[in-house]
Amino acid sequence: MNDWAILSGIEGNLAAYEAVLADIKRLRQPVEELYILGDVIAPTVESEQVIQRVRSPQQNEPVPQVCQGWWEEQLLILHGLGRTGEPTELIERYGIEMVKTLWDAIPREMVEWVRSLDFGLFELDCLLIHGSSVSVSDELTPDTPAIQMLDRLMRMDANTLFCGRSGLTFQYEIQQGTVTSSMTTLDRSTSPQAIAVKPRQVVGVGNVGRLPGQASYALYHPNSNQVEFRTVRYGAGKGFQPASP
Amino acid sequence: MKVAVMSCIHGNYEALNAVLSDIDDHKADKIYCLGDLVGYGPHPNAVVEMIRALDIPTCQGCWDEDIVEGLNSCECSYPSVLAEKRGKLAHDWTNQVIHPEVREFLAQLPLSLRDENLCFVHGSPHNQHEYLLPEVDAFVAMERVLATGADILFCGHTHVPYVRSLDAGQLQIRVKSTGTTERDISFSAPLKRIVNAGSVGEPRHGRPNATYVIYDTDADQITLREVEYDYQKTCAAIIDNGLPPIFAWRLARGLEFAERADDPTHVCER
Repeated sequence: MNDWAILSGIEGNLAAYEAVLADIKRLRQPVEELYILGDVIAPTVESEQVIQRVRSPQQNEPVPQVCQGWWEEQLLILHGLGRTGEPTELIERYGIEMVKTLWDAIPREMVEWVRSLDFGLFELDCLLIHGSSVSVSDELTPDTPAIQMLDRLMRMDANTLFCGRSGLTFQYEIQQGTVTSSMTTLDRSTSPQAIAVKPRQVVGVGNVGRLPGQASYALYHPNSNQVEFRTVRYGAGKGFQPASP
Repeated sequence: MKVAVMSCIHGNYEALNAVLSDIDDHKADKIYCLGDLVGYGPHPNAVVEMIRALDIPTCQGCWDEDIVEGLNSCECSYPSVLAEKRGKLAHDWTNQVIHPEVREFLAQLPLSLRDENLCFVHGSPHNQHEYLLPEVDAFVAMERVLATGADILFCGHTHVPYVRSLDAGQLQIRVKSTGTTERDISFSAPLKRIVNAGSVGEPRHGRPNATYVIYDTDADQITLREVEYDYQKTCAAIIDNGLPPIFAWRLARGLEFAERADDPTHVCER
């Protein structure tokens, strides 16, 4: 089984996405699957081109599998297609002006494609999602409490959860754990039992478009369960230089 | 101090009276209620008026929310299509008979209550609709208690009472981030407990008796209480009011009939 490339947060930055695609093509080991964990768009005029590029991969490129991100959810809310009626979170974070900016940035004909995106993807024993199994806004970081990380994994019974909300690259391994559980009901009591947790991990896949001139993403080797982070520098005079984690 | 905790009265005035008498007999110092005052049962107004009259601190249940907000849960809130159909009938009936001031009271109920190291919620700290069933994974259960910052989490919603103790929780973590050195982290949690108060007015533990719990804070002892009452009176009122007869049938048996959720941890996102 060949590698997966997993990225998030293109955020309407076409140059950054092109730089990542170019980096993927240069890899010695071919990439079999390309996952984009949301935030393909942002309130930029380039977002339309990014959507077109994502939807129309070239012949020698893997077909991206895309799920919804935070910006996609905000757009759907604006169009009355979201999980809530009011763009409260968008306004709280960016102010009321952002409602019009986002509305104007993404043509209406693109909304149906955004709407067609899944909330998350599940492949093998891996959950691939923008935020977490809770919501697109749920931001998992290297400092998230362990029990919360485990909860997000167990909600979908995933062994690996790939996420992109924080924009950070990290690998958070829950190596082992136990808890002693006992139960009393009206009719019976069970003696304390030690419950063990199997190893699981949460992987932050970085961010492609937010930081000008520098994109990050992750490679995953399903056979070996190995994760590798790539940093791609792009733009005038910077070339394409993958960096080690 | 003795703290009595009850939940899921569901418009069953007979059961509420019996439980309040039992609480009185046990000389509880405080009473908390975990919501679902209305729905399914024939006396929603009388139940709410009693709770208000006694000034019992109460958090909002999913039925209370639905009566206030309108039936806004998607079908995943119901464990089966049949359950959904019956639930909607009960919702419509309750919605018609509820007094405006009762609706206002339900609207202002908080989602959770706190008393020192005790936390009170209807379903779970994350959602009124989440079922913390006895078989929920121990780590997931522990997360629900830890999310509140309390030592004991009192919940209802499942209609089956239990006490679950989670002790000596520990996790070993390794974190690798770009640009920083690898970190090993240990996590540990002392004894945490989930106490499900069962249901006063629509029990599902296999008998028709009302259930609730008493927590003795001095002795650190939790007692599951089962109280007999004249459930046939409530069953008759259910039929007389034109509510689905299945509600009387299952009340008389203390059963959840054909309503087991495929995924009880699922939370409606609407």
